[in-house]
Amino acid sequence: MTASVETGADLVAPLASRRLARLRHLDLVGLVITLVTVVGAVLWAFPLYWGLVTTFKPEYEVVRPGVELWPQHFTLENYAHVLLQTKIGLWYVNSLITSGAVTIIVVMMAAGAGYAISQLEFPGRRFFWWMILASFMIPIPALIVNHFILMSQLRVINTLAGVVGPQLIAPVTVIIYKQFFDSVPKDFREAAVIDGASEFQLLFRIYLPMNWGVTTALAIITFIAAWNLFLWPFLAVSSEDKMNITVGITQVHDAFGVSYGRDLAVAMLAAMPVAVIYLIFQRRVTQAIMLSAGIKG
Amino acid sequence: MAAKNGEAAAPHVELRRVTKRYGPVTAISDLSLTVDKGSFTALLGPSGCGKSTLLRMIAGLEPITAGQCFIDNLDVTDVPPAQRRIAMVFQSYALYPHMTVRQNIAFSLSVAGQPKKVQNERALEVARILQLEPYLDRRPAELSGGQRQRVAIGRALVRKPEVFLFDEPLSNLDAKLRVQMRLELAKLHADLGTTMIYVTHDQTEAMTLADKIVVLDKGVISQVGSPLELYNAPANKFVAAFIGSPSMNFFPVDIAAINGRTASVVLPGGRTVEIGIAAGAGARSAELGVRPEHLTVVDPKDPAAAFAGAVAIIERLGNSTILYIETAVGQLIVEGEGDLDAKSGQTVGLRLNQSHARLFGATGATL
Repeated sequence: MTASVETGADLVAPLASRRLARLRHLDLVGLVITLVTVVGAVLWAFPLYWGLVTTFKPEYEVVRPGVELWPQHFTLENYAHVLLQTKIGLWYVNSLITSGAVTIIVVMMAAGAGYAISQLEFPGRRFFWWMILASFMIPIPALIVNHFILMSQLRVINTLAGVVGPQLIAPVTVIIYKQFFDSVPKDFREAAVIDGASEFQLLFRIYLPMNWGVTTALAIITFIAAWNLFLWPFLAVSSEDKMNITVGITQVHDAFGVSYGRDLAVAMLAAMPVAVIYLIFQRRVTQAIMLSAGIKG
Repeated sequence: MAAKNGEAAAPHVELRRVTKRYGPVTAISDLSLTVDKGSFTALLGPSGCGKSTLLRMIAGLEPITAGQCFIDNLDVTDVPPAQRRIAMVFQSYALYPHMTVRQNIAFSLSVAGQPKKVQNERALEVARILQLEPYLDRRPAELSGGQRQRVAIGRALVRKPEVFLFDEPLSNLDAKLRVQMRLELAKLHADLGTTMIYVTHDQTEAMTLADKIVVLDKGVISQVGSPLELYNAPANKFVAAFIGSPSMNFFPVDIAAINGRTASVVLPGGRTVEIGIAAGAGARSAELGVRPEHLTVVDPKDPAAAFAGAVAIIERLGNSTILYIETAVGQLIVEGEGDLDAKSGQTVGLRLNQSHARLFGATGATL
């Protein structure tokens, strides 16, 4: 929006010309902003569009030189191949199981840890808090070798549990919960304590329900992040039956090598659930990203 | 204090030599207090005097640094709050926003694992007492301030506590609602006959509700007594100044002579008056305290006038008139009839009702 300064002359001037002046003013700024936005949107959306269009092209059209913005021969062969000739159903199930498990366990653990650090008095509380803060300063990919060794020592490499394990390290979620629990007025806790509520009842009947918005937002972004994760599931799993959908993309090839149309078709199918979740929970996801961005600075 | 149902007055809540320290700061020091069974006791004092801390120690929300707390002759010093058979109403009400009125009221029963049927019955029973039946399925956000207050009381009531604790429960309400809720609380106490301990900084609330008031000053009990005892016979200048609105006038005087239970006091104008004192009191100089209603506006030439002064401000309240009068001893507040004839700037005389005046020594204690 543009702000206009009302001057004496503005007030005296006839309404029509004033509106015109404002319109002109708006137009110029609006035009620039719109142009920049459109360019940005095109730059951002073009690869998506390109990928989607490619999935509907026969392979010979994909690999021939030149830019073709629309398929000459529209085909669903790529999707038919991916859906019928690969283990995509199993990969979906694996993704669903691992992402669901990660989401549930991360949210439960983080809520518990956040509650303990925020509300309970116990020796080492500060130490734990600093450890959680410190752990989130280290990028996960830097630890990926350690994770691999740890998981292999636990003998869970090439299992779904092995995929889930290292994803349970979610310090940001703990930090967000702690901050929300900190901001719950003390009176609620004391009233419940007088009513005889235990710590578990306090967490599950007061603190969590009072922060449902945070829980749903965190659950959604945790799920999306787990679904989209590639590097760790790719390293942790080698048999096709245990793969996530993201890792499954690498398996869609045949004796003739890579087929871009098929690869992109499986990528589109992999992204679809996340896109649907995002569309349904748009506001919550934005809220969650703002929450964690606020903490990550 | 008079106990309900003809029972003999017995100490119900007792604090023995209780001290509370926060690090180097002492909030309550060596305080002892007994609250009789069935009484309505108000803990009154300015903010920071330790009254809420005291209540929270009785509730068990605040650990006691030294001393003991007894409820029904049982040492509950280390007993968790839920097992003290108390219920507390918070200033903020602390109603759970995600629960309905019914769930809020039944919360204590629900965490205790009572069956749903019992929870519903008890919530309904309490709602009936507090006229909350139409709102049982609403959430706190959909209620007015007075209704929320009643839900908070309902949540306390449902536990059938032995002692009710109130932490400034009316301070979030507007003036009119406050008066109404005050009456409802008084009625509730009359109906239930349960011991109630009520923290407030509002002396009107304390005076109207309580049968016993404990005035606290900086973590120490200044005086304990009935509302009228505190008003008519304050133990010290702090109580005298705190109780009563508008507050008592104070000014320094010289004591010419002491004859048993009366002191001859020389007023700043040179006039001598006789003021009642406790036997054995002695001092050369003191402060005289006079309540606004014990000063009467008279003609400045009236031989009975103790002071003369100019009217600075007039506040007309309808049933009474408050005058702020500049005199040789400073500004004095005078409360007169509603139709008192006075004008700003006018010189008036003031007659002192000496039988109601009090003398306070150098330490602030009443002589």
